[in-house]
Amino acid sequence: MISFKSIFSRIIFLHVIAVVITAIFMPLVLYWFVKSAADDLLRQAMRDQADLVAHYLAMQGNGEWTLELPPGLADMYSQAYGRYLYAVLDSGGRVLFSSLKDRAPIFTGDMRPGNFALLETRRGNAAISGVSIAKKIGDQTVWIQVGEDLTHRDVIIDDIVADFFKRVGWITLPILLFLLAIDIVIFRRALRPLLKASQSAKEITPQRADIRLSTESIPGEILPLVEAVNQALDRLEKGFRVQREFTADAAHELRTPLTILRSRLDTLVDRNAAKALHKDIDGMARILTQLLDIAELETFSLDPSEEADLHAICAEIAEFTAPLALGQGKSIALSGTDKPVWVRGNSEMLSRAVRNLVENAINYSGAGSTVEIAVSEEGVIQVFDEGPGIAPDDRELIFRRFWRRDRRRKGGAGLGLSIVQRIAEAHAASIKVENRPTGGANFALSFAEAR
Amino acid sequence: MRLAVVEDNPELAQLLTQGLKREGYDSDLMTTAAEARAALASTRYALLILDLGLPDADGLSILREIRERKDPLPVLVLTARGGLHDRVSGLRSGADDYLVKPFALEELAARLEALLRRPGQLLGRALQVANLVFDTESRQAFIDDRPQTLSAREVAVLELLMRRKDRVVSKKLVEDQIFGVSGEIASNAVEVYVHRLRKQLSENGAKVQIHTIRGVGYLISEEKAA
Repeated sequence: MISFKSIFSRIIFLHVIAVVITAIFMPLVLYWFVKSAADDLLRQAMRDQADLVAHYLAMQGNGEWTLELPPGLADMYSQAYGRYLYAVLDSGGRVLFSSLKDRAPIFTGDMRPGNFALLETRRGNAAISGVSIAKKIGDQTVWIQVGEDLTHRDVIIDDIVADFFKRVGWITLPILLFLLAIDIVIFRRALRPLLKASQSAKEITPQRADIRLSTESIPGEILPLVEAVNQALDRLEKGFRVQREFTADAAHELRTPLTILRSRLDTLVDRNAAKALHKDIDGMARILTQLLDIAELETFSLDPSEEADLHAICAEIAEFTAPLALGQGKSIALSGTDKPVWVRGNSEMLSRAVRNLVENAINYSGAGSTVEIAVSEEGVIQVFDEGPGIAPDDRELIFRRFWRRDRRRKGGAGLGLSIVQRIAEAHAASIKVENRPTGGANFALSFAEAR
Repeated sequence: MRLAVVEDNPELAQLLTQGLKREGYDSDLMTTAAEARAALASTRYALLILDLGLPDADGLSILREIRERKDPLPVLVLTARGGLHDRVSGLRSGADDYLVKPFALEELAARLEALLRRPGQLLGRALQVANLVFDTESRQAFIDDRPQTLSAREVAVLELLMRRKDRVVSKKLVEDQIFGVSGEIASNAVEVYVHRLRKQLSENGAKVQIHTIRGVGYLISEEKAA
């Protein structure tokens, strides 16, 4: 059995086979029916003729057989007309009368098994078809054979049989092909809801786990499968949600104790110790914020109608991060265009991406250096720093969650860049990292659709 | 000056009231939404510090009630929810400012000061950064109590910077505030004033620094001990 990937081609293949078989056998069967009906008619006609011949057959007192055909009937069997033939045989097989010159029987061979048979034979060019019937006249049984030469037939019923394939057989094929075409249309229509369902299935991601396959106009045979898939999706979505909510709740719940801790530090007399502890709390708070950002990003999908101004975002982040940089003896600068750069995007998310890039740059550069944010009209945000740069081997790794070059280094959990990458993905933006010829790293966030 | 504090965590509530006391504010503490509604109905406070996570109701519902009766009471929202939607809905519901936990008491004090100094409020006529003091009423700057001679525009720039101490003041904001929308200004006008201010302040021993954030604006802060 040929195996088909597509149920549609399987149906069509079997259908074509059925059409071919029907196209061959249906005319044959019909032909057979028509032919047997025609034969029945012929047989009946022959039998009537044989009865007629028997009517004029008589046995004389001397035991001689006589056959006195009326002139009309004799003409029909004349050699000149040549179309009808008769012969009368006695029970011994001896020919008593024959319309043939040579007084031959029309049908040879033993025909005694029954008292009636439809027979066919050939005489020269003629194809003879006829009957042989047994008749009891007096106490004698005779066989009366009547035949008709079918080579010259002009009977209408025979024409129908002869023309059957030409006239009827060829009509069958177009009808069957037409049926096939209609069926193809029906199958396609029946399968369309399935295509629609698979389209929606394609859009399902951990971020968009709320999508369900539509059961509308799905064929009843496939409905159980679609419903089972939807139920499986329900369970998956629940699993995702529980996990996300746990992350978010855990981060929330940690914030209040952290605030208490921080407030207590303000009452410490040893200001230096307090300062160091404050720094630790800031680090923890940042990780919490990032965990919340990640939890929120898991469910984030971009509203296609939203637009964001990259210049405004960078200016806002420069303002926001400047005190942090200045506090560490570093500086921030904003360069590039000072006109709005509109892209399709969510301002809040893009701010977080830029903020993470800038905070990273600040953390990894030395005192006295400047972190520069550059916005171009083409929709590219670049963040330059004067730090050690990124080793070529690390350029892929830095975007992994919790990855850090130096785990002993304080102040980060290795989440920032994975957040940046996820936000970039959600905006169909690309993120690239290079080292600057003058030292330091250059992160470039490029948006496809600046307008 | 009496503030209302609505915070359900007893420890944090206690630390908050103590911290506020040190900053010179008296405060009344409520730990549930019901208590908060009762207190707000009977007493006029200068400001409300509102935690959004309350045991009996969402803090945002209290905020909405306040705004629905057109009460101009300044509200500072404290939230453990730093999510985008929470912050947006907080500000839309009528919060004047918000702080995401964990926050420093210092930061809280600075925000309170900013909120209470708004038009119509009485507190905070003097702005201070290290030994530099600016009296908003007489529009006079002092370094160690010595009055300084500054031009009107220099004074305006200094006031803008000192109002947002340790925060960036964008160059655009300075231009709009000092020169107005219609005024024709040279592209380096603000830089010139800032340059003059810096010179004046350092020559007269002010322990402050005006930082330039290139492409963004300016920021005034205490001079770092070298």
